[in-house]
Amino acid sequence: MALLRFASLRVLRGLLTLWFAVSVTFFLVRLLPGDPALAIASPTMGEDQRQQILADFGLDRPLAVQYVTYLGELLQGNLGVSFRQSVPVADVLLERLPWTLILTGSALIVTLLIGLPLGVLAATHRGGALDRVIQIGGVVGQSLFVPTVGIALLYTFGLWLGWFPIGGAIDDDVYGLEAYASMLRHLVLPCLSLVVLQIGAYVLTLRTNLIDALGEEYCTVARAKGAPEHRVVWKHALRNALLPTTTLVGLQLGFLVGGAVLTETIFAYPGVGRAIYESVGQLDFPVLQGAFVLLAAAVVVANLLTDLAYGLLDPRVRAA
Amino acid sequence: MSTTRGLRRRVALGAAVALTLAGLAACVPSEPDGASGGESEDPGRSDGGSGGELAIGTTADVVNFNPLVGNSRTDSWVTNLMYPAMMTIDDDGTKVPALATEWGYGEDGLSAWIEIRDDMEWSDGEPLTAEDVVFTIDAVKAEQLGTVAGMISAYESATAASDTRIEFTLSRPDGAFLNSIGFWMPIVPEHVFGQAPSVADFANDSDWVSAGPFVLTRVERGQRYVLEAVDTYPLAEDGRAALDRVVFRVYPDVNTEVLALRSGEIDLIGNALPPSVARDIEGDEELQTFSVPSLGWAHMQYNMRRSPLDRVEVRRALAHAVDYEAIREVVLGGNAVSANSSVLTPTFKQWVDETAEEYEYDPELSRELLAQAGVENLELEMIYDAGDPNISSWAELVRDQAAEAGITITLAGLERNTYLARTNERDFDIYAGSWAIIDEPQSNFSLLFAPEGFINYAGVNDPEIDRLLAEASSALTVEDARGPLHELARIVTEQVYDNVMYVEQFTFAASNEWTGFQPKPSELLSVVNPQSLASVRAAD
Repeated sequence: MALLRFASLRVLRGLLTLWFAVSVTFFLVRLLPGDPALAIASPTMGEDQRQQILADFGLDRPLAVQYVTYLGELLQGNLGVSFRQSVPVADVLLERLPWTLILTGSALIVTLLIGLPLGVLAATHRGGALDRVIQIGGVVGQSLFVPTVGIALLYTFGLWLGWFPIGGAIDDDVYGLEAYASMLRHLVLPCLSLVVLQIGAYVLTLRTNLIDALGEEYCTVARAKGAPEHRVVWKHALRNALLPTTTLVGLQLGFLVGGAVLTETIFAYPGVGRAIYESVGQLDFPVLQGAFVLLAAAVVVANLLTDLAYGLLDPRVRAA
Repeated sequence: MSTTRGLRRRVALGAAVALTLAGLAACVPSEPDGASGGESEDPGRSDGGSGGELAIGTTADVVNFNPLVGNSRTDSWVTNLMYPAMMTIDDDGTKVPALATEWGYGEDGLSAWIEIRDDMEWSDGEPLTAEDVVFTIDAVKAEQLGTVAGMISAYESATAASDTRIEFTLSRPDGAFLNSIGFWMPIVPEHVFGQAPSVADFANDSDWVSAGPFVLTRVERGQRYVLEAVDTYPLAEDGRAALDRVVFRVYPDVNTEVLALRSGEIDLIGNALPPSVARDIEGDEELQTFSVPSLGWAHMQYNMRRSPLDRVEVRRALAHAVDYEAIREVVLGGNAVSANSSVLTPTFKQWVDETAEEYEYDPELSRELLAQAGVENLELEMIYDAGDPNISSWAELVRDQAAEAGITITLAGLERNTYLARTNERDFDIYAGSWAIIDEPQSNFSLLFAPEGFINYAGVNDPEIDRLLAEASSALTVEDARGPLHELARIVTEQVYDNVMYVEQFTFAASNEWTGFQPKPSELLSVVNPQSLASVRAAD
């Protein structure tokens, strides 16, 4: 019974978050300067034609009416039709989503695979040269500007060494294994730039937590019992230090998406991030709203699932 | 507890792996079916082809495949290869035959006619006839579609007198009518577009039918647009395009396009190169460049609704406070020519006014003019699109030079949509910008200088101008229109209704491995116009 109550509360909270995100997006895009008709207008169009375009988009109605209509449509699963492309927003996003999943997913995997061992190395060599190098690298990586990293990678590996393509996500006319190889080649640079940007957060967080954990009594006890140091680190300390690090994955999800907007744009990667970037310039409200609903829903659902899983396994969580 | 943590960790990594795999599964293309593969790969061409593939870089996706609605640059580049215009433009800025062969007006100017070629057909085998032209213009008028709707206010009706002859009825004489629809109105197939309940809402995003040199066969948004050559294109030298295939690839900006061109990933950049990049490219032995003039101009306009800009002395003072030659040489690296401060620019040989003279850079004269007007401590704000690298650079020069004449200009480089909004609300002192294409002065000048003109940013309201506009627009020949237009242009210069600074010369770049390009004026036609791409072939 407690579990059911816990679950329904969490779902309710998720829905409220989603409604909030949807509403903020709705009003935020309408605060953008200019109007979609002007972004489309050409000099030969008259004011009448511009007003007609606004009316066609439903933008001539009061804001409250637009908002209620939008929420009503959204509840029926209708994301609307793109102002500029005359096609359903859902089609636009579904075409782009797989590429964003590949990019952000692989960036996350690589970050964890490289970042965790680096964090451990830094913590176990605390104060040493290796620790300093890793720390400095982490801080520098975090403070770099995405386009700077992107352009540097493109110049070095795309033009100068010619190892990887300049843009796109896959070559033309490739199938089967060849297609996978092509996708991998196109993925390397954008993935790498995302990794460079976010790995610092993981390394530094893990390092701090691991150092704390290594000073805990249970580690002293383990050492006193004669456990070798690597066992103390990997078996005892790391398990506890990883807890805040995994929480970071959730926190960093928003950052990763933000990074994807810039990364996809620089590397001409055809994901949702690039669609957002283009839609801002074109003031294509339905696509922008749809993209943000999608991203907000992804974050909310991911958090909801984690919450529910914790609740299922740890009775103390659902009591809270 | 450790079970929970382990689970969290595994959930995080597992989720990442699952997401990636889900993405992969959705993205790997499936092999085309062997039986129908040949057909779907090469729908238009039956000879197998060996002309090769030309990869073209563009900086934006196609927004709308309906040529009567879409109006972005990439939209036009792609759809122009499928939906033919009746006229194109030559190096002198004159309209010349494409789909149309001849045209003319009736004596009273209330009727007009166009003859089109008799050898054109759509890629599905249907002939392209006068009926398609009539359908297109009627759809534009009825649904007020895109750019063309604003050009056909004189249009009443059209009939197909034969398969190749269209006869128009006009409500008033309009000497720019035929050239405007000839150049700007892509002809669409009635048997396809006529099936849609509304042409305006017709996305035209699959099963394309073309009467150009190529037809779209595959679209991967954000990545590429693949067009295959069609079997017959009578406007090409050999009766069809020499290439087998044209692929537009999408890059975020010109700089990345240049990287891709140099690394061999693309063969041609459709967009004009900024002057700094153009200089860099010109030394590259593996690349060739083309230079074409703009069909518009770069300019500043002074908001005459605001005091003291409503006084001609003040506007003249501003015009004489700019060193135009320095801007053309320093900022544009010489890739611009003077328009002699006239709205009749040298790009259009038939209109240009040879007697026009540019405002001289003379800060002292500016000071005197301001003193005559009794204006002291003039402070003005200048708005421009911060995304335009040329204007962002010369805006600073304009500010510094104006300071020499004792005028303080505050620069407001704005995000594009903000800039458009403020321009539309006429919320500026000085507007800096450029027109991409002003190709028909007889009609376009009304937009610029008539009191209700949509792009009359400066607020020109001059009865003499209105009289000359009326006279020019109803003239049916170039000779008759030239007089009033010259007179009008002189008034615009004298009164500084529009301060024309230069006509940009665009540079395009391509790999040396190809030859046969036919560059045409403007970034719209560029080297990717249908005539050009139909004649491109591999260099020996």
